[in-house]
Formats: sequence, structure tokens, C-alpha cells
Amino acid sequence: MNCVSDAHDGPTRRRLLAAALALPGLCVSNQALAQHHHAPAAIKTVADFDTAVWTRLLREGPRPAAYVFTTTYCSTCPAVFELLHDTLRTTKARAELAAVVMDAQGERALVHAHHYRGVTRLYAFNGFEPEIRHAVDPKWRNITPYVVLLDRQGRTQRVIGPPGAAQLKTWLA
Amino acid sequence: MVRRGRVWGRWLLTLAVALGGVGALAQHMHGAEVGAVGGGAGGAAGGTARPAKAPRPQLATGVAFAPDGRLWLTGLDAQGRLFVQSAPAQDLQAWNAPRVLDTAGDVIAADGENRPKLAFGPRGQVVISYTQPRAKPYTGWIRMLRSSDGGQTFSAPFTVHADQQEITHRFESIAFDAEGVLHTVWIDKRDMEAAPKAGKKSSYRGAAIYRNESRDGGASFGPDTKVADHSCECCRIALAPGADGQLRAMWRHVFEPNVRDHGFAVLSSGAPVARATFDGWQVDACPHHGPGLALADDGGFHAVWFGIRKERGEDVAAVRYARLNADGSPRLSTVRALPDEAAEHADVAAAGARVAVVWRSVEGARSTLRAWLSNDGGQTFQRHALAQVQGDNDHPRLAQQGARMVVVWRTTQEVQVHELRF
Repeated sequence: MNCVSDAHDGPTRRRLLAAALALPGLCVSNQALAQHHHAPAAIKTVADFDTAVWTRLLREGPRPAAYVFTTTYCSTCPAVFELLHDTLRTTKARAELAAVVMDAQGERALVHAHHYRGVTRLYAFNGFEPEIRHAVDPKWRNITPYVVLLDRQGRTQRVIGPPGAAQLKTWLA
Repeated sequence: MVRRGRVWGRWLLTLAVALGGVGALAQHMHGAEVGAVGGGAGGAAGGTARPAKAPRPQLATGVAFAPDGRLWLTGLDAQGRLFVQSAPAQDLQAWNAPRVLDTAGDVIAADGENRPKLAFGPRGQVVISYTQPRAKPYTGWIRMLRSSDGGQTFSAPFTVHADQQEITHRFESIAFDAEGVLHTVWIDKRDMEAAPKAGKKSSYRGAAIYRNESRDGGASFGPDTKVADHSCECCRIALAPGADGQLRAMWRHVFEPNVRDHGFAVLSSGAPVARATFDGWQVDACPHHGPGLALADDGGFHAVWFGIRKERGEDVAAVRYARLNADGSPRLSTVRALPDEAAEHADVAAAGARVAVVWRSVEGARSTLRAWLSNDGGQTFQRHALAQVQGDNDHPRLAQQGARMVVVWRTTQEVQVHELRF
């Protein structure tokens, strides 16, 4: 439901991605990502999320990545993290699994991190929620979980609710 | 048509100037929140300590007319404190000073469809309700303050429901019926919590709608009783009186197997649940988008709701309007989408043949308040743009007293009051 794909390909982005992965403190390494999918999440910080951040994430990675947009009262959201975590563990794939909290910041967002199984990064909306949502997808009507799967080539699949098996396979191909 | 009441605007403007400009306005709406805030996308997973920043403003408000015609508003102020203020019937921009109420340190949800609400009873009773998120994620209690002197003084907050588990009791709605009985209706997960698990998931579909009654304006309450099993979990509940004075509720339901359409019921013991919409939207997700409901002059109802339905093989998301019969079943030939693909969080009110539907339409940072007005009981409508703002704002709220209808729209800079003229 509500799935679209687009491509952001190019050698420049690959170089940027390689540079980013090489810089400690800028991105989580693949090794760290793999460990996260076998150990309880230990998220201690929340990063701001706005339109500029989203543009940068799409352009520069990390990849592959899953961005799960959620709220503190979205009780259907943890199941999607379970699904994505299990998929990564089963396939032994490495990917960023990011939670993007739309309705809380700081500690209020952080207390939810342990509900997001396998999460490697926690973001929180910083700004006018509909404006950020509009930048992510003008057709997205704040239904959560809203999932953006970003594959190695920078193509995206956008899904309301749990992604299907075919979408997960495409994501990690 | 438009009257604006600058309630918080003056002190916000003063604050903004003091802090170096209007651009700082939204950032300084609320006090600093203690939190570990790391960098942006490029920030390290370990994070670098940064000064705590002001959280987003919590603008969600409740509005209602008092029996004397004053318009009342309740919400959270810049410090996250519950306040009330009111404006006289003859001048809805002449707001009195906001009065902060003692909530005993409760955290209060005031974002989107979570909002403080107020209702007036027949004997000087005023009640204010809100959801208090508890420490455990996804939990909450419905709390209330009551007044028996027309809102001059309020009690300390108390919990409305008998169930004291730290589980979900959220998205409450309150209203007095024609006999002066106070009804509180909310989303409750006690049945889901008690149900056996199938693997990691509960075997119970969704949550439930619970209610109770108070026959003394909130001084005491009857038992918690269930209205319906299997409601959706994160959407507001609409209440409206029927022609008989009894209240009706409309909420997003989870019909088998996983269809998020809307249920409808009379708030009385053992009333059956009618299905009010037939979008057939199957999704395992939270729409955060509850319905609106108003009594029609023929004993049926006007309803607005958000949903996604298949049309010619495509998923079409829209806020839709329809007439319902008195039992809540839809008149399918009246279903139509609002004339705005970006419409969200619509509200509806009616008086005789006059029907008002209002909604917010967002495009980037710009939000437009729109109205759809009918003089023929909802057969035809005329669309109006009432206002436009940049930046954060609340959903529009309709308030009604007799034939008088106003839209209240709170932004970071002001509270706008738009008197609807048909």
C-alpha cells in the first residue's frame, strides 16, 4: 500500500558514502550495525530530524537503511521494528534501522527507544510536523508506522504499516 | 466572517523581541526540556552534548461555549501548564487573561488529537479533562478537574476511570447529555492486556472503547463499562447528541479482519455498534485521524472522517463527508470527498439546514484553514479559505451554541476566532 520507488544513483554519492563510513563519529559503521542486530539497543542520544537532514540522508546514506516514522502513542509501530530486526538477523544483512519519532523530543523520545527492537539510530522531528512530513512524502497523511526502505543504490520504497516480504527482499537485494 | 483574538500573541511577541526576533518565536514557546540531544544526521551515535533546546509548542486546545455565551478555551501555555481563558459572547476577541490551573504536576498530552477538553453542565458545572501520559510507554490515565461555580474555581485533578492499571486509557471525549449527565468515553486496553498472546502479539484486535457516567457533574462516577471491543488505538472519539438528547459516539474501529472503518453507538447500556463507514481500509497502522459528528435536523447525522479506499484500483486517501441515518448507518449516496486532497483533521457542526465542515490544509510550512458551508442540510457546499499561517498550528476546532458557530484555530502567535456566516 502506498509504495513508490525512486533512484538516487551516482558515483559522487558513493564516494560521499565511503568517506562518511570512514569517518568515526559521522556514521555508524557496518560492524556496529551488525552488532546492534544481535544485542539490545543501547540508544542514548536523539538526533534532530528535519527536511535538510532527510535530504542529506537520502543523498548520502547510510545504505541500506530503513526509516520507521513513529509516534510515542503508536502501538502498532513496535511490530514493524520486530519485523525489520528479524529480517536483518535472518538474512545476516547489515543495515541502518532508524526510528524517527514525530511527536516528542529529547528524553520523551528516548524513553521509547527500548521498544524499537534492533534500532541503530533515533531521530526526533525538529520543526513543524506536517512540513517535515510533507518533505518526506507529500501524500503521506501522518499514518504510522510509515516506513521508507532505502536500498544500496539509493532507491526508496515507501510503505504504510509493515513492509511485505517482496519489499524486504527488494530492499536488501 | 473573520474575527481574530490575540490571546498569547502579545506576550509571545514581547518574548520574541526580547530574544532577538520573531524567528525565535516557536523555539521559545515552552520551557527547556531536559534531554540528551545529539547532533543531526551527521552526528555521532554516541552524541555530543548540546544545550537542551525548547521542545515543539503543544498547541492542541479544547473550546466550548458556556451557557452564558462566553467562549472558553483550554490548553497548555509556554511552560506546559494547563490554562483556561474566555471571551464574552459579544466580542470574541476580548479574551480575558489566561488563568493557570493547578494540575498537581501532571504531564498533559496536548499534541494533535490528544488535547485538553472542557464541557459545561446545566448547574454551573464545568469540567476539564486531559490525558496524562504515564511513565510506561503507550499508557495514560484520563484526568479531570471540576468546578461547581461556573469555572471560578476548580478542584484538584482526579482520575476518571475506576481501572487504575498503568495501561492505555487515552483519547478521551467528554460531554453532558440533555439530562445533565456527564459522559466520559475513552480508548482502553485492559482487554487487550488480559488477552492471551499469540507469539509476541496479543490475540486481541486493537483496543476497546470504554465509558462511564457522572450524575453530579464529576463529583462521583459510575462504573467503567465497555461500549465496544476492537477499536483503533490512536484516534479521537467524536460525540454528538441525538434527537432524543442521548449522546452518540463515533470512533475508528477495527472490523474483521483488519479494516479500519468507523463504529457508531448510542451511549447507553448494551447499545449495538453500527458500522458508519465502508472505506474498507485494511492496514496494520495508526491513522491518528479521528472522525467528526453532528446531529442533522432530520434526526440523522453529518459525519466527516479520514480513510483510504480503493477507487478504480488505486488507493485514494481523503477526508470524506456523508450523512448517517439515526442508527449510524451511512447513506452511501451522500459519501463524498472534501474538495481538498490535503485536507486533514476535519470537524463538523450543524444547526438546522446549516452545516459547517472545517479543516486544515498543509503544504510545506504553510497551513490554510478552510470551511465548507451548506445551507441545505449538506446537499451542496460552498468552499471558503478563512486564514493562512506559516509554521506550527493546532487543528481547527468548531464550537457551537444554538445557531452560532465559530472556528477556533491556535497558532504559535495567536488564537484566531472565525465566526461562520452562511
